[in-house]
Amino acid sequence: MPSSVALRQQIETAFQHRYPSVLTPSPKTIREVVPTGIIRVDELLNGGIPVGTITELTGPASSGRTSIALSAIAQRTCEGSVCAWIDAKDSLDPESAAATGVSLNHLLWVRCSDKASPRPDRSRKDAQPWTRLDQALRATDILLQSGGFSTIVLDLADESIEHGRRIPLATWFRYRQAADRTRCSLIVLGKAPFAQSSAAVVLECHPSTVSSISGTVIRNFNYKVQRRRERFSPVTSPITSIDRKPPSSDWTSPAAWDLVKRASSEHRATAEHRA
Amino acid sequence: MSPDTKPPSLFAAVHVSEFPAQSILRLRPDLQSAPVVILDGTPPQERVIALNSHARKRGIIQGLTRLEVEEVGSIHILTRSAETEIAARTVLLETLSQFSPRIEEVFANNACSFVLDIAGSERLFGAPDQIAHRLRETIVAAGFRASVSISDNFHTARIKSEFSRGISIIPSGRESNALASIPISALPLDLDHYGTFALWGIGTLGELAALPEDEMIPRFGQPSRQWLALARGNADHTFQPLEEKFELKEHIEFETHIEQLDALLFIGANMIANLVARATCRALSLASINIEMQLERSPAYKRRIQPAIPSCDRKFLLKLLQLELAAHPPQAAVTALTLIADAGRQSKIQLGLFAPQAPEPSRLDVTLARLKAMVGADRVGSPALLDSHAPGRFQMQEFSVIDQPRPSAQPSSPRTSLRRIRPPHPLSLQITEGKPRSFRDGATRYEISVAYGPWQSSGSWWDLDRWDLEEWDVMATTNSGESISCLLIHDHLNNKWLLDAYYD
Repeated sequence: MPSSVALRQQIETAFQHRYPSVLTPSPKTIREVVPTGIIRVDELLNGGIPVGTITELTGPASSGRTSIALSAIAQRTCEGSVCAWIDAKDSLDPESAAATGVSLNHLLWVRCSDKASPRPDRSRKDAQPWTRLDQALRATDILLQSGGFSTIVLDLADESIEHGRRIPLATWFRYRQAADRTRCSLIVLGKAPFAQSSAAVVLECHPSTVSSISGTVIRNFNYKVQRRRERFSPVTSPITSIDRKPPSSDWTSPAAWDLVKRASSEHRATAEHRA
Repeated sequence: MSPDTKPPSLFAAVHVSEFPAQSILRLRPDLQSAPVVILDGTPPQERVIALNSHARKRGIIQGLTRLEVEEVGSIHILTRSAETEIAARTVLLETLSQFSPRIEEVFANNACSFVLDIAGSERLFGAPDQIAHRLRETIVAAGFRASVSISDNFHTARIKSEFSRGISIIPSGRESNALASIPISALPLDLDHYGTFALWGIGTLGELAALPEDEMIPRFGQPSRQWLALARGNADHTFQPLEEKFELKEHIEFETHIEQLDALLFIGANMIANLVARATCRALSLASINIEMQLERSPAYKRRIQPAIPSCDRKFLLKLLQLELAAHPPQAAVTALTLIADAGRQSKIQLGLFAPQAPEPSRLDVTLARLKAMVGADRVGSPALLDSHAPGRFQMQEFSVIDQPRPSAQPSSPRTSLRRIRPPHPLSLQITEGKPRSFRDGATRYEISVAYGPWQSSGSWWDLDRWDLEEWDVMATTNSGESISCLLIHDHLNNKWLLDAYYD
């Protein structure tokens, strides 16, 4: 009686012209991940954002995209790594970044502008200046190619979906290759997924609700995050249900004054306990 | 060694002829294969004072006027530049100082001559002929063509280098023979003396050296003793070495004003290469380069490029120069270009095996320069918070990875961040019972479901950048059901409602 190994080899040999390695499972790539610092999001991503890939955070305004990205940047900069934030609409708030724990000295901020230098196209005298989107894409290209940045955030959160979808696929493919080569996590913020097949992870963020409407200050933003795409999922099932819903998670983000209040209450409780 | 015995002496004389032409052409490789003349004087009485070999082949000689040169045709006519000659002399001196610290300058008409005391350097550079070849190769690499003579006698080396081409090695005791064919114009003679020697039929130093000294002195006095010593190659000389200050400077003036950056960079590349070569000779790097340009009918242009670490990478520095000029192009045609470099120690970055990921410093310089050229110099860097209660105040500071301390603070727990709108959008707002109820941002109308506020803040009333704001945190929905959380401000100074930021 032939062994199972011999039987498998026999079957694979018979089918090798039509289906190479028909019974051998394809090797899985286990990607290194870095945590975002938000436990519920990290659980959803099986540990965090994969290194050397493109991760997209999509959703409308006030859906928590910036908070997740800043939290991820804070984790990396506190390790001493260098990160970059490419801001197409110049909307990053340094105070929020510092409050999240981002080491601002380790953050390169590229603020795209309308009053930029003209394109270096010497053949055309009527060369138009770079648009903000052009600048952001080119800056991303330059930073990815130069290497050394552990995380780069391409902030297209305020760009219209039409403009974002006009970005050529070749651009995203080039970003993916460069990110893989330089071990850089590229996080793209947008209203919709733009990178398509080049993205390793797509997280869809949904707008917030505020839990304590009756209070005097706005607090406790609740966000919902759905994982729309994950290329390097460690657990894969060969059978996919048609009505399967994408995995999702809820997370709560307090406002800055919530944390101050919480810290003071903890301090008070500690003092009472000691007393 | 007995007290009467003189220490062995050896001198190398370097003579760069047509120095006004060579000082300009060394930075203009495009003209090196073309006939070029240098004019000096006040128009219209300008005359040729220097020329290259191609112009000489076309029949040009010194002393011709501009009109006579233009009649020949296809000759590049350049104007003499004293500053370029000074810079070139410094470069030549720097080059020669690689071989000896004791250098004396010899003043020669229309040329630049130096004599090096190379006694005792045989063990370092080899025999005299090897020293001469290495000397000449180094001078050629610096962009000059020079004749080199080596002799035990200072004046013999000097005179031979002035009146011969290429390399001349004069063995000890053969000085008189080496100088025999040189015309007596090499000596400091008056016109009367020239006339007398012409009557006597004496035209060369060899013929002069054959005259008896006892017969010469009664006729010409004591100076004739020095002439004979010079002609025989045994004149004494007290060496007076130069003490030059080390300065990395290159200067060039253009005969036609340059408007294209590419043309400017073509010349700038040579200047940077020369600066790097000179710094490298002293085991130094370029810590910064000051760019100064004289512009046509405009104020002088001054910029500075400063790599993160001192560098002697020619291509890297040229790229920084290119990006700096692209980001800040001169506003008029360039008439003169000066590069002054500050020397720094050659530094190495020690990379750690377990150090966090960071860009390579020199590569980061180019990256930042490219980004600045694209989006503006003040829009690339690290944000730094200002010590102010005014909302959204920060400044941009230079981004660097050198000596960056490792952050001590741990990342705090995540919190909702703001997305600023710069500049804030003006709104039309409806207020009911003291609270905002709805607002319109462009074509979109928002109904406010919850509003928290007002939060009043003001400050700097004594200054121009005073502020007086009323802030409202609101949750609003559009007609299409889209909801946002945002920050509205009421600017009391201008009495305007503005959409300042989103919570995201």
